[in-house]
Amino acid sequence: MQVSKHPDSDLLIDYAAGALGPALCVSISSHLHFCQDCRGKNSELTNLGGSFLESLEPAQLSTNALDEVLARLDEIEHEPQTLETAQKNLKTDEARLPNLVKKLIPDQGVKWQFLSPALRISRLVVGENRYELALHKIKAGGKAPDHGHNGLEITVVLQGSFSDEDGVYHEGDFLVRQPGDVHRPTASQNDSCICLSVSEAPIKLVGPIKRLLNPFFSVTPQ
Amino acid sequence: MLIQPPEAFVSGVLGNQIAEWGMITGNRKSVNKVVMLAESTADEWSDLLIRVGADQDREAYTRLFHHYAPLLKGFLMKGSNIRHEQAEELAQETMIKVWRRADSFNRQKSSASTWIYTIARNCRIDWIRREMRRQRNIHADDLYEPGEDNPSQVSLVQVRNKRIVRDSIDSLPQEQKEVISKIYFEGRTHSEVSEELSLPLGTVKSRIRLALKRLNVQLDADTEEV
Repeated sequence: MQVSKHPDSDLLIDYAAGALGPALCVSISSHLHFCQDCRGKNSELTNLGGSFLESLEPAQLSTNALDEVLARLDEIEHEPQTLETAQKNLKTDEARLPNLVKKLIPDQGVKWQFLSPALRISRLVVGENRYELALHKIKAGGKAPDHGHNGLEITVVLQGSFSDEDGVYHEGDFLVRQPGDVHRPTASQNDSCICLSVSEAPIKLVGPIKRLLNPFFSVTPQ
Repeated sequence: MLIQPPEAFVSGVLGNQIAEWGMITGNRKSVNKVVMLAESTADEWSDLLIRVGADQDREAYTRLFHHYAPLLKGFLMKGSNIRHEQAEELAQETMIKVWRRADSFNRQKSSASTWIYTIARNCRIDWIRREMRRQRNIHADDLYEPGEDNPSQVSLVQVRNKRIVRDSIDSLPQEQKEVISKIYFEGRTHSEVSEELSLPLGTVKSRIRLALKRLNVQLDADTEEV
């Protein structure tokens, strides 16, 4: 399936330059997992970083820098612990998620929380305040409640597909919702849909029900 | 500017490194034939990296160190948010990772400079996050894991003439150099740059676009922007 919704170049530039916080970084990496075109752009932009490195004025190192480094090469020093995907308790559909997303899932497996009859959420902790990262799952054929967005929200389809008023979205599609957009996603009939979402942390929560549903979904009054 | 090698050279040496690269631009699909070259004779650095990866060759490593460690320090010091001693420390940390990971370097996928750049970039990200004392520190290496291209569509390295690139960076108008430096050397996002310099976001974007164009980075296959 051809990916048809892509991040704009600004985000790709910020990504290649190492400027994005972890949540946005994961959203771009997830899109790149599915999208060859954007991988091509990303290597262009990363190569630019390499060219910058080669073309700058070298800075003088301390006199014993090389000796210090050579002496440390033999130390049995482990690389900082990176996250593992192994031995996680994953359900069949979760096991097909991109590797980097699986790494962020707690070892006990995905804990889905109830948001509505058709919609579940599971937050992913990446140590960031500004944006929140989560997985959303819409049951096959299920409709998420109408919702508005308090802040910027990015959705990347990781598995299955869903549709809303504007179209149908497939694996890899990268959608940006601006604050104030209201829409009602519906998963396709034959498969549940898992999405990655990055939401700008809400500034204020209003009312007891909204408090339960926020930060991801504020049900708009009918 | 793409470097077009003589036909025989391409089919003989780099025949498998020519890709048809479909680019989607808006609704139109155009296939750009992009010829991408791995550095051929010039890239002694990749050779050295491969020697380090295969044989833990210290002599090769020392040569890499003399070339890259001062460049890394210079690169990191370009970011006004990093002090001299920290730049040195991060340059050393990067070089140690170069030693440990050299066996994963693949010259089909990137040049030595680009590969080392990504290690330095991720070291810088981790350092900034350490400074901010985040509760859960996830290493940048875990956040950057773009998918693998399958071997028939290996994403290839477009290698530029080093001298041309250097000239281009130096010849950028000051205002373009300023914004692109903030993004690449200080790790600021477009919107952070816009706040910091009190410029409208649109102005930052268009300066970046112009800079990329002059630096010959082709992002949109069909569209002439700005």
